[in-house]
Amino acid sequence: MKVALFVPCYVDQFYPQVAIASLQLLEKLGVRAHFPKQQTCCGQPMANSGCEQDAKPVYHNFVDAFQDYDYVVGPAGSCVYHVRKHFDIIEQTPAVQHVRTNTLELFDFIINVLGITEIPGSFPHKVGLHLSCHGQRGLHQANESEMTPVRDGQLRRLLSGLQGLELTELTRNDECCGFGGTFCVSEAGISARMGQDRVQDHVRNGTQVLTGGDMSCLMHLEGIVRRQKLPVRVLHAAEILNGVIIG
Amino acid sequence: MSSREKILAAVTANQPAEVPLPTVPFFEGDASVEKFTALVQAIGGRVVEVAALAHLEEVVRQLFPADYRMASPLLSSTNVSVDAQTPLAVLADVELAVLQGEFGVAENGAIWLPEENMLHRALPMITQHLALVLSQQQLVATMHQAYARLATVGGYGTFLAGPSKTADIEQSLVIGAHGARSLTVLLVP
Amino acid sequence: MSHSERSDIFLLDAERTTWHDETLWFVREKRDKAVYATPEFQKLRQLASDIKDHTLSRLDFYLQQFEENARRNGVHVHWAADATEHNAIVLGLLRQHGATRVVKSKSMLTEECHLNPHLLANGIEVIDTDLGERIIQLREEAPSHVVLPAIHLKKEDVGDTFHKYLGTEKGNNDPQQLTETARQHLREKFLAGQVAISGVNFAVAETGTVVVCTNEGNADLGVNLAQVHIACMGMEKLIPRLSDLSVFTRILTRSATGQPITTYTSHFTRPAEGKELHIVIVDNGRTQQLGRPDFRASLKCIRCGACMNTCPVYRRSGGHSYDFTIPGPIGAILSPNIDMRKHASLPFASTLCGSCTDVCPVKIDIHTQLYKWRQVLGEAGKLPASKKWSMRLLSRVLAKPGMYSAGGKVARQALRLLPHGLTHGQGYNPWAIARELPEPPQQSFREWYAQQPQNDKA
Repeated sequence: MKVALFVPCYVDQFYPQVAIASLQLLEKLGVRAHFPKQQTCCGQPMANSGCEQDAKPVYHNFVDAFQDYDYVVGPAGSCVYHVRKHFDIIEQTPAVQHVRTNTLELFDFIINVLGITEIPGSFPHKVGLHLSCHGQRGLHQANESEMTPVRDGQLRRLLSGLQGLELTELTRNDECCGFGGTFCVSEAGISARMGQDRVQDHVRNGTQVLTGGDMSCLMHLEGIVRRQKLPVRVLHAAEILNGVIIG
Repeated sequence: MSSREKILAAVTANQPAEVPLPTVPFFEGDASVEKFTALVQAIGGRVVEVAALAHLEEVVRQLFPADYRMASPLLSSTNVSVDAQTPLAVLADVELAVLQGEFGVAENGAIWLPEENMLHRALPMITQHLALVLSQQQLVATMHQAYARLATVGGYGTFLAGPSKTADIEQSLVIGAHGARSLTVLLVP
Repeated sequence: MSHSERSDIFLLDAERTTWHDETLWFVREKRDKAVYATPEFQKLRQLASDIKDHTLSRLDFYLQQFEENARRNGVHVHWAADATEHNAIVLGLLRQHGATRVVKSKSMLTEECHLNPHLLANGIEVIDTDLGERIIQLREEAPSHVVLPAIHLKKEDVGDTFHKYLGTEKGNNDPQQLTETARQHLREKFLAGQVAISGVNFAVAETGTVVVCTNEGNADLGVNLAQVHIACMGMEKLIPRLSDLSVFTRILTRSATGQPITTYTSHFTRPAEGKELHIVIVDNGRTQQLGRPDFRASLKCIRCGACMNTCPVYRRSGGHSYDFTIPGPIGAILSPNIDMRKHASLPFASTLCGSCTDVCPVKIDIHTQLYKWRQVLGEAGKLPASKKWSMRLLSRVLAKPGMYSAGGKVARQALRLLPHGLTHGQGYNPWAIARELPEPPQQSFREWYAQQPQNDKA
């Protein structure tokens, strides 16, 4: 099985530790992933801004970079969702179709391809899980409150399996954090307010460590946590899970 | 070309290729008196069980003040007579209307009230208080069974569910907006 | 002004924003409870969606079938190509009956057509009878929500308004008493109404019936007391069969307010003896939207407002921030069809979280349409020039791995070396208004990876 690690541009530049944790976690789970250095970005920033046509060369670069792999795995639900859903505007060659179908979010890959549903380890903290909308509603990685009162999902299960970890029960389980890509600057006021409300929900309900599967939401929430100097640590779930496994 | 022709031509030109019309399954459910009663109460109404049709007059007298100006085709003790030609000034003073409901829907507490049972189309809304007489035998589970029972909706008819209400001020529920301030269901055997 | 500029005004009152958000979230929670308690709800959504898809695919047939049946029932049917024609038809009917006043129940269509100002300008007194509509009519405001038109107001605002116009005691803010005042005030208007206008929730083609749903009873009271009933409907209100109402009456209020059904679900098929019923069927851009394959599904909307209640942006920006008759996510996909330039910012007033799509009872792919409108606006040159050019530049960089690596390194270095005050300048960095930038690391991941001896350099 040839697996490529897809490291979204902002993770590459600002959160290398998240990519390192993803790489190491996969390795501990028996998968040696490669990082094709031709990769840059999925093109979502341009496309969400209404410049999908301008993003086409970026889409082609993405496909070129990853077409020789069986799976493309990334620690960011939103970017993965973009590749799977919105790469429909370029010619659907076998390579494009292959890349779209086999680009998976990290935990989706771990659970559904590797078949690993429990990771042994201990993390004795009060952990708040932030669900990325694109991971949850787009990739169906978690139940949606629009459909059912049952709170369940891939990351919730993986994290719940850790010893000593207590999950925060949020007042609003799956409200959007307000990042939204370029929304965070074009609608900066609303974006900030949404982020502040999301962080408040965690603080009110006792979150010590705020985590999730999508670093873009977490980048935004971390920016608010640091600005408000709140006693909350923000970690990508790959960092937690990689950290608990004795390598 | 008239607007009608213009609009229809544009629709024909722009509508997509035909997709099929689904068959609506007959979703079944609980059609019990208990369920219906619980729903009527939940939407702000009350249900009073009447032991026999013969007691109707007596029950109404117990439930409502005797001096209410009352219109009803079902009771002999009415003191306001209403028909389709009744002047608005008379209608406006009605305090209680007692009308026959055709059947009730257990999933939402609604009762089908056709024009024929209303005396005047505005009576069920303009009366201060409304009582609907309903047979326990005439309950269906869901709106699917309800519409299946209606061969026709007549000239005018309404599914009436509870008293008039509004929550337009800060989402605070207030009973008695423009229609009847209270709804009593008189459940007869 | 753009949506974000109008939102910033709303956000200035942080407490009111919290209140607005929580009030509408409460409605969303009521919706959830009702939905969870209806086991077949997801099947009903699919059925509703399929029925509407079918109807749109044969809309020419159903419009004519509806018209024919309505005429047979003694109803007068009128066709209006646009808002101007709609308003002219209504005014013409009022003139024909010598009416100088009209009572009106809630109709988003007449709001869309700006009927009230047209009638007022022609000497007709218009009384909105829905409580929320009456409140905003007295205040000369537009509705901020399709189901809860006055949801942007607090009870103190309503108390002040009623004190000013209806003579209630100053400081009386009790919803119960304010509603009672409105009831008394509007009763007189109902009884004096010569003509009554209502909206339409559903129009049944096979019977020629229009169905109107209210909780207050104001539509029924108005039209049943008046000599003439004018029902105004967008042409997308059609459904084929009476039995289809079983699906729509089950999902409409559960989605809207969490109620199992509205208090009054009224079926108007024939006018009362000696009275008149007129139905005005309005296009006003709908046939154009029908011709846009990516956007025609927006015509399935039944105006429940669930997408507004769930939208995290709407809840914090208020309905007026959309500056369109229909606010919220559904408004953001309907408005560019009407005026692309004016409403160009609305499809961007979303994080594309997708909650709107998932609550929509007729399964409109709202967030996908928001994304697609962005592309249409981009292609049509309706984006701010700075955005267009920065995105074009970004694409150039991101299509070339070498340029991207080098650029990233420079940017990170700059972030590290420049003083905080400069990188977080609020005048030019909107990110920094409420957030810290990430702390730039020494190395990017790709730099780290290249240094790992065990990694192949492929």
